[in-house]
Amino acid sequence: MTVILMLLLLAVGVYLVAVLEAWITNGRFRLAAPVYSALSLLGRESIIPRKSDLLFFEVGPVLLLIAALLAAAVIPLSPDLIITDLATGALFLNAALAYILVALIMAGWGPNGAYAMIGGWRFLGQLVAYAMLIVMPITAVAMRAESLVTTDIVVSQAGLWNIIYQPLGFILFFFAAMGLAFLPPFDLPVAEGELAGGVESEYSGVRLAIFRLGRMVLIITLAAATVTFYLGGWQGPILPPWLWSAIKIMFVTAAMLLVGRFVPRIRETHLLAWCWKFGIPLALLNIFAVGILLVMIP
Amino acid sequence: MITAQAIFIGFFGVAAVWFGIVVFRTFSMVRSAIALLFSQTALGAMFLTMQAEFLGVLQIMMMATEMSIMAFFMVMFMMDPGGMGKMEMTHQKHFSMIAGVVAFVGAVAIAVFIDWGPIANTVADSAEQTKALGLELLGRSMLIFETAAVTILTAMIAAIAVAIKPIPREEAKDKA
Repeated sequence: MTVILMLLLLAVGVYLVAVLEAWITNGRFRLAAPVYSALSLLGRESIIPRKSDLLFFEVGPVLLLIAALLAAAVIPLSPDLIITDLATGALFLNAALAYILVALIMAGWGPNGAYAMIGGWRFLGQLVAYAMLIVMPITAVAMRAESLVTTDIVVSQAGLWNIIYQPLGFILFFFAAMGLAFLPPFDLPVAEGELAGGVESEYSGVRLAIFRLGRMVLIITLAAATVTFYLGGWQGPILPPWLWSAIKIMFVTAAMLLVGRFVPRIRETHLLAWCWKFGIPLALLNIFAVGILLVMIP
Repeated sequence: MITAQAIFIGFFGVAAVWFGIVVFRTFSMVRSAIALLFSQTALGAMFLTMQAEFLGVLQIMMMATEMSIMAFFMVMFMMDPGGMGKMEMTHQKHFSMIAGVVAFVGAVAIAVFIDWGPIANTVADSAEQTKALGLELLGRSMLIFETAAVTILTAMIAAIAVAIKPIPREEAKDKA
């Protein structure tokens, strides 16, 4: 029952993200826009490129969707509203998200197209940049909660949300999550204008619809992870817990989408340089600072 | 009696071996790397079936990035990464076969003849396992893991050094 409810809520969330993304990118607020785009995608022919690696081509978009859904399974919307409350929740989230990379490499390599392939390998480079900035801030969060269980992590923020307790970790995680969801300005693998859609470029019809759906689920999952780790999860006064989660998740999603509107696309070399020269030392500093805080204020 | 657990272990075991075979059956370097990834993922699933949650999830997580990066290196170094030219990429076949058979027999012999001790009837819950592993890693196993980590780091630096096109000494002098 919980699983069905969670999937339904996820579907509603994905729909809202699609509306929000369209609103932020082209400035028009249309509630029915995702329906039209979905119908238009599903009505079109889904072309299979010549000499493609068909297995990779077919598996890529589906794996993207599955990985994002698996990551969503350990995110709690309220103390009871969670698909599976694993003892290794925070680690499992990382494990599921690691397959986003595999999906993109498969989707990039599969169609036998230059733009798609460059897009796929670009995402690998992007992973080398963002991966540590996902894992290390989560380490500091787990240190405070003394647990990898996501519900325990939310409970540990009852007194003070992690966004205030470890703001540095929040900033790093927020941008790394944007990198993972390849949102602008980190949309290197699908860069329109320079790669003609990159990984997406050879996909059309129903396959493209699945790819885009997977990406929407990924965006909302990462926003939900940010809320769970840093914004106190379901905690808040008066309103029911699940509603607090929903409001916060939508807020974080909007923030993630909005950043891209005002920042030009970053170069891969700059992304790597910034992440390794500044991001990782800062993430280490964050772990160190949280360690000191934990020892000083038990 | 065959339990559901045994069936799942068997299933993932066969999957791991099958994907392992696929690694050598394909000409495409990327397919080969991804097949190795799914072989390792199946191993992780076996850990999960055996209620070693942390180990299973860790295995599944680590392999995804490692094998993807390996795929990239294979594309960089191999002459025919897509396998489109059906280029022969194996070598020392006779030696490899003997080495493979010896390793297989050795592994089976270890599995069959070693004294594994009594079978554990109960497993500590996953949170306890995570804690025990953490203490182990910071205790007597620390030296082993640190040594492995430094070795891997060295290998990584060496691989990158090999990948970079060397600058002739004269040019380097000019640049300086």
